[in-house]
Amino acid sequence: MSRYIIRRLIQAVPLLFFISIVLFLLMQASGDPLATLGGRQPPRAEDRERLKRQMGLDQPPLVQYFIWLVGNDWMVVNDETGETGARRGVIRGDFGTSFVTRQPVIEVIWERMPNTLILMGTAEVVIIIVSLTIGVISAVRQYSLLDTVATGFSFVAYSIPVFLMGLMLMYIFAVRFRQWGLPYLPISGMFDPTVGRTFDQIARHLVLPVMTISLISIATYSRYIRSTMLEVINSDYIRTARAKGLSERRTLFVHAFKNASLPIVTLIGLDLPFLLAGAVVTETIFAWPGMGRLFIDHLTRSDYPVLMGLLMMISVAVVIFQLLTDVVYTWLDPRIRYT
Amino acid sequence: MNRKYAFVLLAALALMVGLAAPAAAQGKTLTVSWPQEPDSLNPMYTTMTFAGYTYQLFLAATWEFDENYELVPILVGEIPSAGNGGISEDGTTFTLKLKDGLTWSDGDPLDSADFVFTYEMYMSDKNTPLTRTPWEEFESIEAPDPTTVVIKFAEPYAPWSGQLSLRPIPEHILRPVFEADGTLDNAAWNSNPTVGSGAFILQEWDRGNFARFAPNPNFAMGAPKIETLVVTFIPDDQAYVASLEAGDSELGTFIDPRDVPRLQDAGLDVRLIPSGYNEGWFLNASPERAHPAMTDLRVRKAIALGFDRFSMVEDLLGGVLPVGHSYWEQTPYANPDLPPVPYDPEQAKALLDEAGWVDTNGNGIRDKDGVELELRFISTTRQIRQDMKALAQQQLGEIGIGISIENYESNVFFNGYAEGGPAATGQYDIATWSSSPGGFPDPDTNRFQCDQVPSDDNPVGGNWNYYCDPALDELFAKSRVTTDFDERVAIYHQIDKLIYDSYIWINTWYDADIWVVGSRVQNARLNGTTPFFDVVNWDVAG
Repeated sequence: MSRYIIRRLIQAVPLLFFISIVLFLLMQASGDPLATLGGRQPPRAEDRERLKRQMGLDQPPLVQYFIWLVGNDWMVVNDETGETGARRGVIRGDFGTSFVTRQPVIEVIWERMPNTLILMGTAEVVIIIVSLTIGVISAVRQYSLLDTVATGFSFVAYSIPVFLMGLMLMYIFAVRFRQWGLPYLPISGMFDPTVGRTFDQIARHLVLPVMTISLISIATYSRYIRSTMLEVINSDYIRTARAKGLSERRTLFVHAFKNASLPIVTLIGLDLPFLLAGAVVTETIFAWPGMGRLFIDHLTRSDYPVLMGLLMMISVAVVIFQLLTDVVYTWLDPRIRYT
Repeated sequence: MNRKYAFVLLAALALMVGLAAPAAAQGKTLTVSWPQEPDSLNPMYTTMTFAGYTYQLFLAATWEFDENYELVPILVGEIPSAGNGGISEDGTTFTLKLKDGLTWSDGDPLDSADFVFTYEMYMSDKNTPLTRTPWEEFESIEAPDPTTVVIKFAEPYAPWSGQLSLRPIPEHILRPVFEADGTLDNAAWNSNPTVGSGAFILQEWDRGNFARFAPNPNFAMGAPKIETLVVTFIPDDQAYVASLEAGDSELGTFIDPRDVPRLQDAGLDVRLIPSGYNEGWFLNASPERAHPAMTDLRVRKAIALGFDRFSMVEDLLGGVLPVGHSYWEQTPYANPDLPPVPYDPEQAKALLDEAGWVDTNGNGIRDKDGVELELRFISTTRQIRQDMKALAQQQLGEIGIGISIENYESNVFFNGYAEGGPAATGQYDIATWSSSPGGFPDPDTNRFQCDQVPSDDNPVGGNWNYYCDPALDELFAKSRVTTDFDERVAIYHQIDKLIYDSYIWINTWYDADIWVVGSRVQNARLNGTTPFFDVVNWDVAG
């Protein structure tokens, strides 16, 4: 097993190299970071030419990639003074500096990571608990009223686009409730700046974005769980377990559920790395200061260093979580062996 | 449902209601919201509108503009003029006399050395400021004594009132950083400027979330009345409007005109504030790059006459923003004798006939010498522009001009000549965007002049119309060395008339900024470039 894991990790290295080259070249096509500089007017061309030179954007893309990867602290960047560059490159842990905020990329990402984990972690917990509950009950009580309602809800929730869901929830619970004099939820942000980052504040600001993210996922997850549970509880070994006189609870939760959870683990395993990526639309609507919004803000400014940092981090997370998912399989189903 | 489930459901509901209890009311707090977050709070490192608005809160200028664009002295005792010796007779030397006893928020003296230091930082090749305007135009800057700054130019400097509204950065904080790091690019102060000179001091900037400010008792104009000023960032348009409507945000701008009725219904004060911007059609007159018909004045005039901008602003902008005529709309520099170009499709057709463009093959599009009158109309992907282009396609189609529509992401659209930007390289016949004289309220621009036509030798040229009229060049050159306001206005009236008559730029709407002011906010005088010029006197009710 450990040999398997080590082999998989070694295999990931060339894969990540390949991903980084493809992403870096794609970035070149995403636009020029000096085109607008975020202003309403395009910058003066004289300033663009100077900035291009100062920021090293006048180099060919492959040279820029090389510097991004291994740094330029061993290269002479100014022939007159013999000065060398200051960048150490990604393989020595330097992801460069944001073109937009001039902060180190690692710092930019670290600032947002906890916020996104709070939002996405809460949402994922809600999704798993609620969809498991709905999915299992719908399967066990197939065609009951609850099953019918859950099925109906799933189709409705699944067909609503996430931005509409977010705006609707905001309009009802934040704008209208306030106008009607009811207890209302905040519209945007992570906490009230005049109160501070308290548990109470964050919890209150979490409600609407978490609802937005989870409602749609609950709809899909609960359908998956329902169908895999249905398949399992109609199988021979469950009938045998019942025939042996095991309690219904033990039959369902120990024998049926463990086997039904394999496809769900795959689903969650694929989802988890994207917890780090954040939810672009939801974070934008609710002004949640997370990674999704960071990505969009910096994408519109073609801020390659930050985008590369984010995308590489997600790529690494995908590799790791897929490996973890495979490991969890062996625990859930002892028939699966890796050598 | 059994009892256990009912209990869980009740508990969940109780939790939600508990969390939803409204927050306690605060004292004199004003919440301002922007749809974009500043990239940097150091003026050297940002050209973003909202960064500009935000740093005005904590960085004072020599002078600001009031709501009528009159100058209000802040750091200087009085506005320089020929009368008080502030402007030399030849218009090349400007002497700024600072008020006595100015200090930074931490008590350190704010003096002329800070101005010289700021100049050094902008001009040092070790720093990467986004623009060096106006600093690079100085021939010299000197600090003969702590309250005197003397700036010399090689030629008379007409745009002084806009360009010399300078905001110095604190030398006592930033000089040591520059000496230690060799650059200011990564200075902590850029993101966390807790020492400033404005009405407020930054307490905290939580990126992605908010920036919170407290009063600066050392401000040159006294301490502000508002006790806490919070700036929040809400990127989604609909959420932004909802936040203003609900009263969570009490000041905001960049509102879509179509949201104006909804905000007015909510009892909010909606204001049109000029910021120098006008949406306009740039018509490409290049013989090499544009459609051959575009060099013909009659064709360009027909394009202007053939599009009904008046009903467009009603339909697409809810009638909130009017059609204008000038590149300098609603400023003294706009020629008052010129009306907006009317909608007259019959005259447009006659002009096209006269120019020899007629539909000989019956395909609905005019042609001449085997060339179809099919024009490329480009813009960014902004929805309102796409709608406008669709309308233009239909209306110009009715007078026999074919329009093919192209959309570009704004960071591609505004690419320069060297990067192959579609507008800069003249790969269009009609292009629409919102533009402003760069140094608004100063009227000077790098558009419409022969020496600004971009080329391989001059990739930085700003004349993306590729139109050349030496008479215009002469007037622009004259305006740049005319320091007398009235004389300069008269020159601009002539410039405005020449541009108007050449049909190279058609004002589609006067693109004022739409500001929304909450009902609690008092004394909020605003302008479009320095909205916080008088924030020291703002107040909030109850």
